[in-house]
Amino acid sequence: MIQVTDVSRVYQMGLVQVHALRGVWCTINMGEFVGIMGPSGSGKSTLLHILGLLDEPTTGTVTIDGSDVHLLTEDEKTDFRLNKLGYVFQDYALVPELSVQENVILPAMARGIPPDEYLRESEKILYQVGLGHRIHHRQYELSGGEQQRVAIARALINHPKILFADEPCANLDSATSRTILNLFRELNEKYGQTIVMVTHEDWHEEYMCRILYMKDGAIENEKECRLKK
Amino acid sequence: MLTIAIMGLVFVNLVFLPSIISGVIANFNSQSINYNYGNLVVEPRENNLYITNVADIKQKIDQIPGVTGTSPRFSAGATYYYHGNQISGQVIGFNPRYEQQVTRLHTRLQEGEFLAEGDSESILLGSQLAGNIDERLDKLDSLGGVTTGDFVDVIFSNGVKKSLKVKGIVNTGSFGVDRNGFVTLREINEVYGFTDTATSVLVKISKNGEETQFKKYLMQYGIAEKIRTFQEKGQGFVNDAIRSFEIINAISTMVSLVIAIVVIFIVIFINTINKRRQIGILKAIGLHKAIIVYSYIIQVLIIASCGIFLGLILSSGLVTYLTYNPLIFPGGAVYPVVEVVPVIRSIISLVIVSLVSGFIPSWKIANEPILDAIRGQ
Repeated sequence: MIQVTDVSRVYQMGLVQVHALRGVWCTINMGEFVGIMGPSGSGKSTLLHILGLLDEPTTGTVTIDGSDVHLLTEDEKTDFRLNKLGYVFQDYALVPELSVQENVILPAMARGIPPDEYLRESEKILYQVGLGHRIHHRQYELSGGEQQRVAIARALINHPKILFADEPCANLDSATSRTILNLFRELNEKYGQTIVMVTHEDWHEEYMCRILYMKDGAIENEKECRLKK
Repeated sequence: MLTIAIMGLVFVNLVFLPSIISGVIANFNSQSINYNYGNLVVEPRENNLYITNVADIKQKIDQIPGVTGTSPRFSAGATYYYHGNQISGQVIGFNPRYEQQVTRLHTRLQEGEFLAEGDSESILLGSQLAGNIDERLDKLDSLGGVTTGDFVDVIFSNGVKKSLKVKGIVNTGSFGVDRNGFVTLREINEVYGFTDTATSVLVKISKNGEETQFKKYLMQYGIAEKIRTFQEKGQGFVNDAIRSFEIINAISTMVSLVIAIVVIFIVIFINTINKRRQIGILKAIGLHKAIIVYSYIIQVLIIASCGIFLGLILSSGLVTYLTYNPLIFPGGAVYPVVEVVPVIRSIISLVIVSLVSGFIPSWKIANEPILDAIRGQ
């Protein structure tokens, strides 16, 4: 479970202080597919970054599985991200010099998993996301949707407890976006994968269990969308 | 590729000058041993001008195991006259048979013949002293083109004047040798009225490099005269030249290494700047900073290794070229001598500067906050 308690984040931009988050409280349960929505500048990406240990709250605490993650040292945070969290970024963020499979196995290699194990696991996951036939291709040979699926496979290779996705469909057309969202829904429903996703497309709601609406750095509203099957 | 080419050229620069310095030293050593001093030189005791009882001393030295030859010499000042040209220099007397056991002068005859034991009224001239008819070919003032069979007038330092027939011209390539005239020891002893007297005894040992050890043996065998190795005799000019070379080499090495640092630093810096976002993302997905730094270190090591390999090929080419077309120095032709130590030192220093200059930008970028790197701020 993710417990967010009175989290605020203030950025110093020259002489001006920008309040990106102003006392956010929320809880995300394991196995949920939660969307964070809101207008630009509402603080949704900032919240996702803090939940994903990519940024520090100015005040407040974030607890994941009972541990206050911001008390961890930098190395411990890196290990936490590697072992327990997965990330999908808007622009896929693949390493262009590497093949699909090599991109996917990177986090597993960093964990020190034996090669035969991570190669087997990467093939399994790539088949799962529908890229079994693209294993040895390079980034430039893939469509946007395929690249995003590689990024999802990379995020899943270490079996993370929580998968964070920062506007993963922002660069995709609606048909491809549906493929990605269907994949997320399948991961959530079939494997119980906890997913926290930032989006600003209203029609994405139908794929999520719950939506947190943000405005001016705080959660203004939340809505149950669908019951988990 | 350009980076590897620059690293290769830096390596050549690091190896080349030390190889020339080694070449100069090797040239000096071989010239000194083969034409000037042998391995050791026995000289008169302090406050004495001559060594007397030379035969005894020679016999004592000859019985030392490892000594392959000894040659008593008598050096004196002399003025040479030929067709109105006058040159002051040295005349050296030796026993031609003994001399051939010690030096290789007899192998460097430009023309004519080497002296024989029974020769009298004959002289061998160094090529620089004999000179050329066309004085533009002379490197120093000369007698203006003496050839074999000519007669030169020699006034010895005691005022005795002799007209000697030139038996041959020697050309060793060493200025110190080629400026002298050579007569038999008997001839010069007669001029000075001495018998069994010399100003030095040259000693040749079976293995070069053991001079210091043999200097002690000579003392143990009762040689009470002053004993100097060929290096001690040649100190001064060559050491000054080598010191100057080493200063130039130090400056050149420093400049080369600075070039290597700057090139590697810029390459890695630009690379990290271009991949800043990618690095941020890799950190975000849980890759430790050390992995990112190691990846750049490996990249730098590959560049450095390829550069060193290229440098080794270029250096070999250059050394081969200079072996066939040696540099001409006042001491003679200098061939580059590539020694293992400077090569290893160059490899190590290139690897170290590459590691340092690759590590700094990669460490800097790996320590950047993840979001700053991802956003490219």
